[in-house]
Amino acid sequence: MASDENTYAIETIALTKIFPDWWGRAKVVAVEDLNLQIRYNEIYGFLGPNGSGKTTTLKMILNLLHPTRGKAFVLGGSCDNPEISARIGYLPEESYLYRYLTARETLDFYGRIFGLPREVRNERVETLLEMVGLAGMGNRPVGTFSKGMARRIGLAQALINDPDVLILDEPTSGMDPMGTRQMKDLLAELARRGKTILLCSHLLADVEDICDRIGILYGGRMRVEGPVRELLQHQDQTEIHTGRLSEAALEQIQDILRREGHDCDVRRPMDKLETYFINIVNKALQEKQATSGAGVGTGITGFLAERPVVRSQSLLDQLVSARVAPDEQPSASTAAAEKTKPEPQADKTLLSRLAAAKPDAETGTDKTDAAPSEPVEKVKKDVLESLIERKGKSDGSTEATRPQDSGDERNA
Amino acid sequence: MHSLWAIVRNTLSQAVRMKVALAVIVLLVVLLPLMSVVMEGDGTPLGKLQTFVSYGLGLVSLLLCILTIAISTYTLSNDLKRRHLYLVVTKPVRRYQIVAGKLIGILILNGVLLAVFGAIIYGLTLTIPKLVEIDSVQDERIRAEFYTARSGLKVTYDEEQLRQSAEERFKMLRDSGQIPRDMSHYQALRELLAQERLIAKSCPPGRSKRWDFGGVRLKIPDDPDAMIFIRFKLEATTALPDDTIYGTWRIGDLRQIETGLDRVKTPIYEVQRDASIRTYHEFSVPANAVADDGFLSVAFFNNPSLNYTTVILDDVEVLFHSGSFTGNFVRSLLLIYVRLAFLAALGVSLTTWLSFPVAILVCLVAFLAGTANTFIVDSFDGLGVAMGLIYNFTLRPVLWMLPQFDGVYNPSHYIINGRLIEGTFLAMTVLMTLFAKAAVILLFGMWVFSRREIAKAVV
Repeated sequence: MASDENTYAIETIALTKIFPDWWGRAKVVAVEDLNLQIRYNEIYGFLGPNGSGKTTTLKMILNLLHPTRGKAFVLGGSCDNPEISARIGYLPEESYLYRYLTARETLDFYGRIFGLPREVRNERVETLLEMVGLAGMGNRPVGTFSKGMARRIGLAQALINDPDVLILDEPTSGMDPMGTRQMKDLLAELARRGKTILLCSHLLADVEDICDRIGILYGGRMRVEGPVRELLQHQDQTEIHTGRLSEAALEQIQDILRREGHDCDVRRPMDKLETYFINIVNKALQEKQATSGAGVGTGITGFLAERPVVRSQSLLDQLVSARVAPDEQPSASTAAAEKTKPEPQADKTLLSRLAAAKPDAETGTDKTDAAPSEPVEKVKKDVLESLIERKGKSDGSTEATRPQDSGDERNA
Repeated sequence: MHSLWAIVRNTLSQAVRMKVALAVIVLLVVLLPLMSVVMEGDGTPLGKLQTFVSYGLGLVSLLLCILTIAISTYTLSNDLKRRHLYLVVTKPVRRYQIVAGKLIGILILNGVLLAVFGAIIYGLTLTIPKLVEIDSVQDERIRAEFYTARSGLKVTYDEEQLRQSAEERFKMLRDSGQIPRDMSHYQALRELLAQERLIAKSCPPGRSKRWDFGGVRLKIPDDPDAMIFIRFKLEATTALPDDTIYGTWRIGDLRQIETGLDRVKTPIYEVQRDASIRTYHEFSVPANAVADDGFLSVAFFNNPSLNYTTVILDDVEVLFHSGSFTGNFVRSLLLIYVRLAFLAALGVSLTTWLSFPVAILVCLVAFLAGTANTFIVDSFDGLGVAMGLIYNFTLRPVLWMLPQFDGVYNPSHYIINGRLIEGTFLAMTVLMTLFAKAAVILLFGMWVFSRREIAKAVV
């Protein structure tokens, strides 16, 4: 058990939950023999249709439900140990906040539970309100908030203790596209700062964009588990992105491909609606149009992860190697016109930009990095550029058809 | 500790913003001054004061009890039902701290509300005599009987000795064959014991009866104006033409006469007092009658030239100042606070495993049972042997767990009669109600709560 404590941030061993009926007979098997192993500094996406046992698993990990069999460990211990739970941030599937407290009081309350000193608490509350874009609404009772705004407060409370492990249940549900995008950027940035994130969602696009590894749950059993890229990549297909081509050039390319024995499909790449929407909102923001809703949050706040994550030395190596791969890819994509993988580019550039805003930034692959102002601005620039240059910044999800075969070999 | 206080604060703001507390506050703020004006009692200023204090304390106690029941059963069950606790229990806080935090929050709220309304009643009580016309006799009476805290020493009889003499008489009567055949030993003995008790209390014409009291400790021993009070009720064994008994009382340290001193150290007072039977009477003598060691004798002489009946002296009590009205009033508020604390602990504890409607129902039943506790317990005491055994092992422990709000635990009763709430009694009440009963209930609730699945679906 000692080695387990050091290896994984979250681990479950044969975790099983059976809900009995009134007579105590087994009625619903919600989760069955689940062995999760989430390493430090990993974003793990937990997928599955409704009722597949995702939330039940999270609740068992958090000691909100008691497992029928098996055990769940977080940071090497049980969640009901205050020393462990002090390092966890949790956002439930709905933001179960006290309706009578204002946004500021809500965050203050949770800050007090963590025993944060007054100055630290006040500072964090303000920066978090700023970050989730509710700075102007700190004195409004949470009960008057829309679902998405409550969600933002929910996220803020999950971050108030600067947690090492974040457990998020449907973090983007009820959020507007701006919020969703910010949430994704934020999670990527948090992971970069050494947090471990367990994300549970059925919004596949979200998971795909940010997760290192995913597991797909169905009927309480793990069906597939593995790195996102491995699971989604088509080994037998190639995608080429380039500028606008003349009809003649296209003919020539098709000729070459025919000689190789392949068929090809030519089309113009499209923007994701998300990108387009963010563009419109940003325009309105620049025109300073008033809104009673949530504003746009700022980037990640300073206090998060000033503290290093506690983990063993041997593990550090693993983590380093795990982080190297994604950092290399953007440079590869700019160098080589021919790209074999459908990269989640839009997200990557944003991540690196956020990183660049920090003094300790190490990636400088994108041109837009030259002018780092505030993230809102940057997102917009990114979108504009892509519009002008027609540089297909499409995510893998828009293009790739889901591989049907890859699942079987990786069945857990 | 910090997490506990976070819960306490949150519970307080929940209670305040729930507006139930506000409703009670408004109701009391309007009602109390209104009552002080409207209530008349028996028409005398003393009666007005007594009625106001009695109803005022009763109303504050009732409303705060209901408020406590409502909030204590609401706060935790609501947090569970609305799943607010998902975000609390996953943070570094122990489950028992949540229960304790809820309770402490309610206790603080109760403490503040009780202090405020206690102060209002107290202020009005002191103001009322200034608002009505009052003569010096009435003023004296109010001062002596209301704005005071008196302790009472009651005549007690040695039950063991009475039992023995009853046994002896039984043996004597049985030996001489005077016990009726259809009377069982138990019945006969009970009859004889009742007779013995009556004899002990009775005083035939031409005879006198004397009781000695020790421990008459005055609040200010050397106060020349201090008085002691003799309170009594008389019965006659035969019908009297005017229902009045003419008695002579002697109050003082009667040991001095026995030892035959030529000069008495403390005065002995003789009081002629004609008193109608079956009602309580009170007269006073200067407090210097009490000997230095707190000894006092009270003697009653049944004067044969005035009475021809045997007098039964039912309740003879010596009353003396032993505390201040203010101190006593504070103690009466503490008695109320004990109730509130008990109900708060019960309510919070019940909602760790019961839903809000069930918990509030149980709490209300406990509250009502508490206000009629003596009656309920008494009604079960007359059970037969078989039923009694079942009762002892089932209902009795449950009844023991019930709070006691009536009888001697009713604070109004003390304040109205200017009776001191003894410190030891108060301490015992706190000990039994809070540190025994409420603690057991609360620990059970904490135990349940720490094992409970917070996210378990409640249908």
